This record gives sequence, C-alpha cells and structure tokens, in this order.
Amino acid sequence: MIPLDIVAVVRKRSQGGEEELQKLQHEVGQLAENTALALKKNVYKNYSQFIETAKEISSLQGEMYQLSHMLTDQKSIMNAMIEMSITGHNGEGPEETDEGVGPGEDDTQKHLAFLLEKVEGCSGVTEVPGRHLVHDGDLLEIESESFTTVQKLHAFLLNDSLMLTTWLPHRRGPVKYRLQCLYELDSLAVVNARDMGGVKNAFKILMFPDTRMFQAETPKAKGQWLDILEETKKKKAALDTQRKEAAAAAVADRKSAVSNADVEPPTERSRNSILESELLHADWLQEAPEDLDVAIAQRDFEGAVDLVERGNEHLDGCPKGQAVREYRARIELRIKQLTEVLKQELQVSPERSIRGGPRCARRAVTQLIRLGKSSQACDLFLKNRTAIIRYNIRQLKIEGNTSLYVKRLCLVFFDNLLETGKEFMKAFPQHFGCFSGFVVWTKSEMLYFVTTFASQVFANKTNFTIVAECVAEARTHCNKVSEIGLEMTFTFDRLMASDVERLIQEAGDFQMEAVKHRCSEDQWRPVNHLNHMLQVKFEDEMKDIGLTTIGDFTYGVCFTWLTQNSVQFTKSYVSLCVDMLKMYNPNQHHLVTAAFSEIISAQLRHADRSISSHKFPDQETVILKNAEFLVQCLAPLVQSKYQAVTGQPCSALDHLQATLKKIRRAASTASQC
Amino acid sequence: MSKGKTQAPTVIHKVIMVGSGGVGKSALTLQFMYDEFVEDYEPTKADSYRKKVVLDGEEVQIDILDTAGQEDYAAIRDNYFRSGEGFLCVFSITEQDSFQATNDFREQILRVKSDENIPFLLVGNKMDLEEKRQVSIEDATARAQQWNVPYVETSAKTRANVDKVFFDLMRSIRVKKQATPSSGGGKKQSNTGGGKDKRKKKKCIIL
Repeated sequence: MIPLDIVAVVRKRSQGGEEELQKLQHEVGQLAENTALALKKNVYKNYSQFIETAKEISSLQGEMYQLSHMLTDQKSIMNAMIEMSITGHNGEGPEETDEGVGPGEDDTQKHLAFLLEKVEGCSGVTEVPGRHLVHDGDLLEIESESFTTVQKLHAFLLNDSLMLTTWLPHRRGPVKYRLQCLYELDSLAVVNARDMGGVKNAFKILMFPDTRMFQAETPKAKGQWLDILEETKKKKAALDTQRKEAAAAAVADRKSAVSNADVEPPTERSRNSILESELLHADWLQEAPEDLDVAIAQRDFEGAVDLVERGNEHLDGCPKGQAVREYRARIELRIKQLTEVLKQELQVSPERSIRGGPRCARRAVTQLIRLGKSSQACDLFLKNRTAIIRYNIRQLKIEGNTSLYVKRLCLVFFDNLLETGKEFMKAFPQHFGCFSGFVVWTKSEMLYFVTTFASQVFANKTNFTIVAECVAEARTHCNKVSEIGLEMTFTFDRLMASDVERLIQEAGDFQMEAVKHRCSEDQWRPVNHLNHMLQVKFEDEMKDIGLTTIGDFTYGVCFTWLTQNSVQFTKSYVSLCVDMLKMYNPNQHHLVTAAFSEIISAQLRHADRSISSHKFPDQETVILKNAEFLVQCLAPLVQSKYQAVTGQPCSALDHLQATLKKIRRAASTASQC
Repeated sequence: MSKGKTQAPTVIHKVIMVGSGGVGKSALTLQFMYDEFVEDYEPTKADSYRKKVVLDGEEVQIDILDTAGQEDYAAIRDNYFRSGEGFLCVFSITEQDSFQATNDFREQILRVKSDENIPFLLVGNKMDLEEKRQVSIEDATARAQQWNVPYVETSAKTRANVDKVFFDLMRSIRVKKQATPSSGGGKKQSNTGGGKDKRKKKKCIIL
C-alpha cells in the first residue's frame, strides 16, 4: 500500500463537491461489499479444504491403527512360532557367542532343555554352559564308497559341536531321537561333495577315523548346512583364538612384570587368568563334571557331594576369573541337579513306598546339609515324616473298639514322633536353626493327632470310662516323648482342654441326674442277698473297688445295711472318680473336685432329707448306716485315690463330716420323738 | 537316487589335492573331471569329486578331495589328510612361496599318515606361464629327489600333464594297495574284489 497523506487526499477529494463525494462513497461501499464477498468465498473455499484435510487425517489415523494392530498380531505370531520352533532362538545365537558365555547361560539352558525332551541320552550334551542350538535338520546318511543308504538321521548343530541323532524306531512321547555321536567342531572337516557321479545334495564329514557322508533333501538345504557349518566353525575358532590371545597376553604381561621389577605389577586380572588356567588343569578337576554325572546316575550321593566339596575347596583357592566362573557354572549345574535328585529322594510321591524308613531319608538329608541346603533338607525331611505318620495312621483300622484304636493310634503317632526326634538329632546335629523348625513341626503334628483323636473319642457318644482311658493313654505317651527333650503334655492338654472339661461337666451332670432319679424312688430298704454266697460275693466286689471296711455294713447271713440305691451309687461314683482322676490335670482341678463333692453331697443330702422329713420312721437306722457308709467308708476311699493322683487331700469333701453329724443329730431327735 | 548305477564293486582310489591357496588345485581337478579350464578364481573350501576312469584297462573310481589352501586349522587339515591314499602336492612355478609351502604340507602328511612311501607327487602347476617362472625345474626336481617322489610340471590351462599326474598317482596307489592288501585304513570292501589279481600284477612291475 502507498502511504497516504490522509489530509491531502481528503482535501483533494472534497474539492469535487458533494456529488463527487457521494460517488466516492458509493465506490467505497461497493469495494467493501466485494471484499467481504471475496473473503467469504475464500473462507468457504478453505473450509472445504480444511474439511478434506481433517477427513484425510482421520482416515490416516485409522490406517495407522490398523497397521499397528497388524504389527502386534504379526509379532505375537512370530513369538509363538519362535516358541514352537526348535531352532527358534537361532537369531539370538550369534549374539550370545559374541557376548561370551556368562550372561546367557540360563537362557541357553532353557533353549537346550527341549533337546532333552526330543533326544534320548543327550543330558550330557545340554549341560555345557553357553552351548546353544544353531541349526538342525533331517539328513540321510549314505555309505561314502558305495553310496548306499545307511540310515535316516537328524542332526543338531550346536555352537561348538555337531550332534547326530538317529530316529527312534518306536517313538513314545516327545522323545524322537537317540543320540548317536557328538563331534567337536574344532577338528571337524566338512567336505562338499561336488560331483559324486549321480548322488545329489551330499556332503561329507571327516572326523578321524570316521568318514561320513550325508545327503540333504534339497540343494538349498545342503547349501544351508555347509554355510552354517562354516560360519559356526569360524565363530568358534575366532572365539578360541580370542581367548588364546588373551591368555598369551597375560603370559606376556607376567613376563614383562617379572623382567623389570619397577614396572607396575601385572593387573590382578591377567595374573589371575594364568593362575586360573594352571589351577584348572588338574586332571581330576577337569573330569569332575563327568564324574559328578556318573555319581548322580549311580546314586552315589556321598561320592558326588565329596567331589563337590573338594572342587569347591579347590576353587575357593583360585582367583575369580572368567575360566573359573565358567567352570563353576558347570559344577553349579551339577549341584543343582544333585539337589533335585536328593530332594526327590525325600519327596513323598504316591508311587514311591515310604516304608524305606527314616534312615533312608537320613542319607539324602546328610548330603543336602553338606551341600548347604539344611533348611530345605529340614523342611523336606519333616514333610516326609508327616507323610509317613499320616500314612501309618491311615493304615490303622477303626474297628468299633475305640480304646483299642486309640491305643494303636497313640502308639503309632508317638513312636513316629520319637523316631523322628531321634532321627532329627542325628541328621541335624549342629544345625540348631533347624530345631525350631522341628518344634513347630511337632506342634502341627500334635494338632493333627488331637484332631484325629478327638474325632474318634469325643465325636460319638463314647463311654466316659473309655474316654478317660484314651486320654490317660495319650497323656502317658506324651510323657514318654519327654525322653527326647520334647514337652508335649502341655500342648496336648491345651488342645484337649475344652473337650475334656466339657466331658467332665457332662459326666458329673449325668451322675447328678442319676442320683436324683434313684433317690426319688428310694424306699430305704437294705439289700437282702438271699444267701451267704451272694453276700460274700458282694463283699468281695466292694473290696475290689477298695472299700475294705464293707464288713462293718453287713449283718446276718445275707443282709447288708446298704440300700440298693447306695450300692449302685457307690459303684458308679467310684468308677466316675477313678475315670476323672485318670484324665486329671491341674487345670481341671476345680471342676473335678466340685464334681466329686457335689455328687456325694447330693447323695448324702438325700439321707438327710429322708431323716428330717420323717417319711421313713422305721428306716432311720438304715438311713443313718447308709449315711455313715458314705462319709466314713466311701469318702475316705475317694480321698485317698484323689491324694494318690494329685498329691494333696481333697478339701472339698471335708464338709461331709458336718453333714453326717447333722444327720446323726436329726436321727437321734427323731428317735426321741 | 541312482543306487543301481553307482553301486559298483570297483576300486576307489582316494586322491587329495594339497598346496597353498591359488596354485591351481581346483583348476587341475576341474580340468581332469570336466576337461575345462576355469578362469575366475574362487577359494575352495573343501570339495569332493568322484569319477569312473579306466586305469590300464581296469575300471576304477577316483575320489578327489580338493582341499582349501587357506585352511588355517591343523586339526581339520589332519582330518582331510587321514582320509587320503595319495597326494598331489601342488605349487605354482610362478610363486616361490607356494613352493616353499610344499615342505610344510609334506611334513604334515607324513606326520598324519606316518608312511615315508605314501603315494605322493610333487606338481609344479602353471607351466604355461614360463615367462613368470620363479621356481626352477632344478630346484623342484632336487626337492622331489630328496623326498623320493616324482616331479611333474602341469598346466591346468593347456591340460598338459593333467591326466598324467592323476593316473601316475593312481598307479602308485594301486601298487601300494597291492603291497598291503588288508591295511590302508579300512578299505576292506574294495580290496576283496580283485586282491589276487592285483598281486600278480605287482610282481610284474617288480620284474
């Protein structure tokens, strides 16, 4: 735009008068209109372009999405294929070689693991650390002179060797091939059979004294084999020379260091590598991995562990360098294998008999401990024992007779516990850390035992006497365990407490009911034994229970002062007391004494009531006699039994004397009336 | 496959070509096999050929192992050499180094085969390139005499003496085999065929 002198322009324009100005205004108005229109058009025009661009962009975006989707799909397919294909890690192979052996070891193991599944007898091949598969394929071996077919082979090219495998005639499972031989690539001579007079796609392998000829399926396959063989050989050779050079450099280093003393000593590393190569050259050490394999295969675990220990001792003296690391890796692998085998030895599997006993386990445990896996050994050992205990308990037959079953159960369980304890002391003599594990284990086993025990003893309505017997039995066994220093009684009592208490309560209540029932129908008639024979029999019976003074309560040829009620009560009360005392433990002291005193008090109260009520005026002597019997004959018996068990008198029974006095008083007043 | 055709009870003579790289081992082999001269040079790795030939009226097979002159690894070379029954040790008359290298090859072969009388020919190749000669006939002959082996000059290009070196070698292999019928590294199969026959022939040669 030309810069306008506005005043000048206005002056010039205004010179023409009004008409001129109006014309100008009109012109300007038109101009503005046109401009606006053009602007509008332009906007529209750009607008459509804008829309178009936006559309393009969105479609482009869609395409990009599609593309990325396809790419991920393809990636996942590739991954799947890599996983499926046995040569899948082909691509990674060379990198690994370049990096050396260290880092890729685990992967390699994984990669070669499939070989184990496919090829019979190749475990030795797969164990070399750093080894991996480069190529594999089917080949037909032909006789190198007559060109007759020999056999079908499957060859696996590893990074350092060529493994030939034959097809298994009757394949079962995933194993398809059997290892035939393994050729080191170092000295393997490969010959391309250019023209063999009719035989196509063949090549030869010269490995003195073998000369073997193979035929590939297609020229391409053969070319591939030759190229890959060549390449792999070169790589291996390069790696070897690298190592040699490093070693040579190290030697030179050392020499120079020796020659001029003021020069800095050689770097630790180079010296180490020399030491290493020297130290590793011991014959036995070189053969150790193979010997280990043999020992494991022969189940000579002691020998294997001896070897491992010897090797480790030796290696500990060595500086830590590449070669030692590699060697160590080989040993580690064996140790892992050995550990697995030993663990299997301890593992409980349904197909293996566990009748081998603990001594069998001790062997494996000892070796595991020597390998420094004491906690694992402890764990497995105890698991093994658990299984044995469970098994033995399951073998017990439940034949309705609870006490017999419980006796056996206790025998089996506590014997096993004892055995385990003794075995444990022998197996883990200096591993005190494991003992806590053992204690925890016994606790859990005890819980299992108590559960089994309770389900048998408490679950169905078992006779109280039998329950008492069972509990007593178990408790004596618990005490026996203390000979190996285990205190199980407390655990047992604690686990049993609620059940036992409930039972004592129930038995007591039951007895009380019986007392009430009998007393309600009591007519206070002394028992007539009808003849002397039966009388004597009765006296003997009572004496057997422990009532030696029963003679004081009989008279005549066949009479006793005691009523039927009293006789029955005596029998059941004494047996109840005996049972309760059988399963007595101080925690239940209160419950037991309370039951003792309550029941006998109730019986005595019955006598008291009978006298006071004057319902039986003719029977007062009998009542008094019975009451005297309870207090002076029965109570002391229970007292003495109680004291024998608990070591202290049962003070709860002391109040009986007072009641007896009261009855006597009542009797005398009654007779006076 | 052509089993029927190839399954012949004929004798197989195993010949190995040794010598430095580029002296013309493959050229000699290809000239012998196919009567053609290959101009362009490509280093050989290790190639094997087999051909039926008539040797003094008897049909035999020749198995030629054309080794790599550049093979660096002694252990692998040993494996090649072990499989051979006779050796053509080739050098180029235009290259002094290749002549010197024959010493090493001879040494290694003797070490591997441990037999001073192993069928062996010293071959001076590229005799068509007379103007570039670096190794004199006298030197080569002297060495051959020292080794007690024949010296022959050849040209893979003109085919001069090509058949001669192969057939001469096969003849001395045959002599060797007849002298020790059962030995020679497991050639039982091939020897059982005409053992007696050859024994007579051997006597003829001595006479």
